[in-house]
Amino acid sequence: MGYTPELKELIKRVEATRPKRLEMARKGENFPALTLEERAVVLEKFHPDYQKEGRRPVKTGPDKGLVLPEEVAMLLESRSMLRPEHVKLDKVDFDTDVLVIGAGGAGNSAALLAADAGCKVIMVTKLRHGDANTMMAEGGIQAAVHECDSPFYHYMDTIGGGHFTNQPDLVATLSHDAPLSINWLEGLGMMFNKHPDGRLVSRHFGGSSRKRMNSAGDMTGAEIMRVLRDEARSRSDQISTIEFTPAVELLIDEEGKCGGAILYNMETREFFICRAKATIIATGGNGRLHIKGFACTNHYGATMDGVVLCYRAGVGTTCMWSTQYHPTGVSYPEQNVGLLITEKVRGLGAHVLNVEGEQFCFPLEPRDVESAEIIKEALEVGKAVLTPTGRYGVWLDSPMIDMLHGEGTVRRELPAKFIQFERHGIDISKEPMLVYPTLHYQNGGIAIDGDCRTVIPGLYSAGECTGGVHGENRLMGNSLQDVITFGRRAGIVAAQYVNSGVEVKKLTMDHVVKYEKELAEAGVENPVVAPILLPDYSTDEVASRRLLQVQGMLEAE
Amino acid sequence: MSQSESTPKKTQIATGDRAILPKGAKTIPIFIMGKQYEVPETLTIMKAMEFAGFQFLRGAGCRGGICGACPTVYRMPNDYKIHFGLACQTVVEADMYLAQIPFYPANRAVYKLEDIEARPDMINALYPELFRCVACNNCTKACPMNVDVLGYISALKQGDIARAAEISFDCIQCGMCASRCMGEIPQYHIAQLARRMYGKYIMPKAEHLQKRVDEINAGKYDGLLEKLQKMSHEELEKLYKEREREPDLAPNGTWVPQDAQYL
Amino acid sequence: MKVTYYPGCTLKTKARNLEDSAVASMKALGVEMEELTRWNCCGAVHSLADDDLIHQVAPVRDLIRAMEQGSDAVVTLCSMCYNSLARANLIMKNDEVKRKTINDFMDEEKDYHGELEVLHFLNFIRDHVGWDKVREQVKVPLNDMKVAMYYGCTLVRPGNVSIEPIGDTKVMGEFLEALGATPVDFPMATTCCGSYQILGNPEAALDVSAAILESALARGAEAVILSCPLCEYNLAKTQGQLTEKQKLSKEVPVYYFTQLLALALGLDSEACRFDLNDHNCLNFLKSKSLVA
Repeated sequence: MGYTPELKELIKRVEATRPKRLEMARKGENFPALTLEERAVVLEKFHPDYQKEGRRPVKTGPDKGLVLPEEVAMLLESRSMLRPEHVKLDKVDFDTDVLVIGAGGAGNSAALLAADAGCKVIMVTKLRHGDANTMMAEGGIQAAVHECDSPFYHYMDTIGGGHFTNQPDLVATLSHDAPLSINWLEGLGMMFNKHPDGRLVSRHFGGSSRKRMNSAGDMTGAEIMRVLRDEARSRSDQISTIEFTPAVELLIDEEGKCGGAILYNMETREFFICRAKATIIATGGNGRLHIKGFACTNHYGATMDGVVLCYRAGVGTTCMWSTQYHPTGVSYPEQNVGLLITEKVRGLGAHVLNVEGEQFCFPLEPRDVESAEIIKEALEVGKAVLTPTGRYGVWLDSPMIDMLHGEGTVRRELPAKFIQFERHGIDISKEPMLVYPTLHYQNGGIAIDGDCRTVIPGLYSAGECTGGVHGENRLMGNSLQDVITFGRRAGIVAAQYVNSGVEVKKLTMDHVVKYEKELAEAGVENPVVAPILLPDYSTDEVASRRLLQVQGMLEAE
Repeated sequence: MSQSESTPKKTQIATGDRAILPKGAKTIPIFIMGKQYEVPETLTIMKAMEFAGFQFLRGAGCRGGICGACPTVYRMPNDYKIHFGLACQTVVEADMYLAQIPFYPANRAVYKLEDIEARPDMINALYPELFRCVACNNCTKACPMNVDVLGYISALKQGDIARAAEISFDCIQCGMCASRCMGEIPQYHIAQLARRMYGKYIMPKAEHLQKRVDEINAGKYDGLLEKLQKMSHEELEKLYKEREREPDLAPNGTWVPQDAQYL
Repeated sequence: MKVTYYPGCTLKTKARNLEDSAVASMKALGVEMEELTRWNCCGAVHSLADDDLIHQVAPVRDLIRAMEQGSDAVVTLCSMCYNSLARANLIMKNDEVKRKTINDFMDEEKDYHGELEVLHFLNFIRDHVGWDKVREQVKVPLNDMKVAMYYGCTLVRPGNVSIEPIGDTKVMGEFLEALGATPVDFPMATTCCGSYQILGNPEAALDVSAAILESALARGAEAVILSCPLCEYNLAKTQGQLTEKQKLSKEVPVYYFTQLLALALGLDSEACRFDLNDHNCLNFLKSKSLVA
């Protein structure tokens, strides 16, 4: 298919300005970079993490007063799907040692380690077993495995990359356990890239002092997820996995301990009471909230459910204001929207251009600044391209690369990107790409300690839904390590807690009643019902015809 | 597009994964399970279905072509071929006649990896139906990832676990191969077993990793990590700036840093 | 000389001794057996029901792979694979209607019209290497060794793919003579070994196996050669049961014909692979002072 005739017309403007820009580039000249003062202004005004617009103090709960993105704050100020007075908590449908909520990388690791310690485990997930952001991580997984490296350097790189805002005990756990996690995965039969003598193939990444990025082809996360899922299936005697059945409310016993959750079968619309001695939240990130309308690289189910459940029960967050954006996500063709375009393209000399084919920013600003300048060009200047599916985009002039470095450079240096676009009829060595910033990762989340404990006894959490380990900026390869290391820890620690002899007392939903009272007192009118479980991408026209929803009739009531 | 080549300030813009039909954009008819809908061209099947008003529970996953939740079967007019694609990766075409197959039953054998050996006859015993393959190649034709499914099934019949593991590596376990198999073989489950056998028993072990694991378990780094957690921002920043960087071209396991006190 | 070679699944697993000895022997004789880079099962048993066209798809696909590699002939060792490939080849060469159906069905592949020749290894040696060359290269002549020639069914039936006119088979005899051994013909040389009846009706299969071996012994044979892993299973691997049940008077060493070829050419144990045969096979050769 390639570009539409209309977009091809616009590309002519890019081609028209190119000879002059190439001439500049050959002389080593570029669009001037911003001064530090100018950076602060554009960040303040246009970077979603910095700008005040779209952010506000949350009105209720343990983090009351904390300034968060509107989409996040709104979900934290939400009410339950269920009316507590109608729920019979004495009729227990499932009884287990450990309840794991979420069946991605962290959930499966937790379930397996809890099972290793002799626990009966129920693992629930709102989609299929293994549907998670873990599956989508391509690049790799960090661990200090070589002789020139050590947990010390993993700690250093991680906390420096996070601008020293990380929670130290979490970073220590991550760097300490990372090699153990890799060893565990190897023993489960994961196909790591290895040298012929068995040594792991490890590479550098942004912000690394040592080669620490281990991988399995260019689908490391998918390989991890396949192996963990298969192992969990092998242990069906101890681990029951229930698909399309999320947890929609935590249960707290009369002593204040977490005693399980209420589950919701999304296919039959039944609710079930699951009593558990320990509960592990591993529900993943929030890319699908599309903060400020951004596209994202995330899985369909990344809707922040775990943070919502915990917050309502009194568990606060860490770094929840911070989200990772990548400046150059694909905005055309539609099937690639949100996918990352590596920084390398700009590193090789490609300019970033507006609809007139003009440069409007230095192409190698720091990620957050580059993102802000692109957003500014679209929203304030009004010179972004509008794609046939109604998306903003700016041109990334990749054909310059071959012109600057010789024919064949694009193919050689960017093989995966070349093939990805070629599949859709676009030769990026001859035609520019359309890009726009994309949401990538939930940096913050549920507050935990180095052993995955929350402030509620019996309630643990692990993975992208937690906050603190990455601080305000995550390094590549630490997300996969996060889910494995903290998933394992959560499983071990929860099992220790169960095995020490726990008795769940009478279950209550008092925290829900109390929180809704707080909402009313804070003047939150018509709070949304959450967790939202899945995003809704229907058009306004379709939504306006859904009269049952328009009238506010909720099936769950 | 000529109307909207530069973005008017108040126009409604597609947010997240929601598509808005821009002025003048063309729509095309597609048939979702036999029923006609008009959708914008250039959308993926997944987004076209959402545009039409479907909200997925099954049939959507990573939306990036790697999780296997959205396999879709379609036919085109005047073409006897059955086409396969992932809904999140395949662009709609006019008059496409489609249905999603979000789940297809396939039996997975019961095994514990630690109790078995990497031997072809182990695979044969767990999956005797492997030998019902008649090499019809429907599996390969159905694979949305272009995996040579018949190739890895043949490799397993030939007893070559390593080859089967390598050939099947891109499998996303969507189940389309099994749906088309006249031998009723659950190909993707067998491939999973082969890959895990290969990873655990046939690939060489990472000896250096085992050494590091032993060091960690012996508590070698506990004191160091304890100290780091108590360090001030300034101290950390100083140490951070002093880090040596492993040379890009140093092969793994060869470079020796000058400062060895933290290793 | 180089020849395109189709191995078959069993030769990669249970019958390595058939393949290893053959490939090494051919190397010694200056022939490189180039294995197909992509191949699948030959279709095996299924092709015995020849009204069922789908089972021709597997062997035809193998023939197309060989054609894609630019070959004009493909050599096989296993009798069953030979039979499946040769019969599929005949259909594609001669039966216009079936050819069209199969080519239409396999529309993702190139059309095939029986362009290739399918050769069994025995005929390949006879026609492309020559008994004289084999005789010249023999370093350990198998003198005083009386060997029964067991063809079984699939080398000779049906008649249109028989490696020689049925009732007038000479190639195994010529082969043994070239190695210095004494060929022993016997009445049940082309009687079926019992085939897969060993699974569904084991007693009947064991009776047939015992009868075949006794028939060879009665003609003075000291050993048996064959070319099919299924025959090898029925005639060799069952001998423990046969003697225990007193169906067989004494154990008889059974070899793949290629193993005796490798032995006579003076190749080492890695080529001969007697380690994969029953103990009596090696013991017999020791008693003849043919191996140390």
